[in-house]
Amino acid sequence: MARNKSILTEARQIDRAVTLIHLGARLQVLESETDISYERLLRLYKEVAGKSPSKGQLPFSTDWFMTWQPNIHASLFLNIHEYLNKAAALDEIDVVIKAYQLYLEQTAAQGLEPMLSVTRAWRLVKFVDNGMLTMTKCSCCHGLFVTHPHEIAKHYVCGLCNPPARAGKGKAAGALQLDAGPGRSPARAEAIAAH
Amino acid sequence: MTTEQMLAEIREANLSYLMLAQSLIRTDREQALYRLGISEETATMIGNLTPAQTMKVSQSSTLLCRFRMDDELVWSLLTSHGKSAANESIGRLHAAILLAGRHQEAA
Repeated sequence: MARNKSILTEARQIDRAVTLIHLGARLQVLESETDISYERLLRLYKEVAGKSPSKGQLPFSTDWFMTWQPNIHASLFLNIHEYLNKAAALDEIDVVIKAYQLYLEQTAAQGLEPMLSVTRAWRLVKFVDNGMLTMTKCSCCHGLFVTHPHEIAKHYVCGLCNPPARAGKGKAAGALQLDAGPGRSPARAEAIAAH
Repeated sequence: MTTEQMLAEIREANLSYLMLAQSLIRTDREQALYRLGISEETATMIGNLTPAQTMKVSQSSTLLCRFRMDDELVWSLLTSHGKSAANESIGRLHAAILLAGRHQEAA
């Protein structure tokens, strides 16, 4: 790397890295988005997070984004991301950071667990850039949702307009819950109310 | 409500709107664009208002901000008549996705 690195640029990169670490980003994200050396990033990570970064491969599958709940979370994030992308001129990673913060706010406001990690969000944007995933308009509500490319747009219906049969039946705290409708048992209604 | 009162309340709403918008824009400009649903140019205009100008602009007989949920689908998702609490949360999430997808007013 060049010796005459700008200190200001470096300061900005460290600032960015700290923000990303606070949001829970994996070390690979920091390595890819800054010019800071691995050793320094490792030290920075330990200093900010107070622990060693998790090891191992990043989640690499596009299929995760297709399952019901992750798809809704990913679509929310990506819509915010696209909004910021269109509305403001920012560096790519800053758009991810700001969109992710807005996504966290939205989920917190509804008492939902943020299923999408910042690493996955960053990955999602890369997948979309590479054409491995795209957004398709739902033929029912006209909202944009994350899909595989070449989804037949005319017939595409999103997971919110037409939830799959088992969707929203999980009882995990902070998970999306969907009501079965008129036929449900009183015990189930109580469980929902208690939640 | 008398006309006097009504006008006073409109002025007050305008003033708080402008002040909120200004502090949002100054804290984080890009996120403010998303929250307010305004264009970059409008954000610059609002951000550059002096206190005296802010007062003057807010002294209007009409409201300065506009309703953003102007379609039936989003509206029904947000109000979700006769639905359970669980579905209401889904509805709000759905509405958030639809609203975030509308950047034509910002771009």
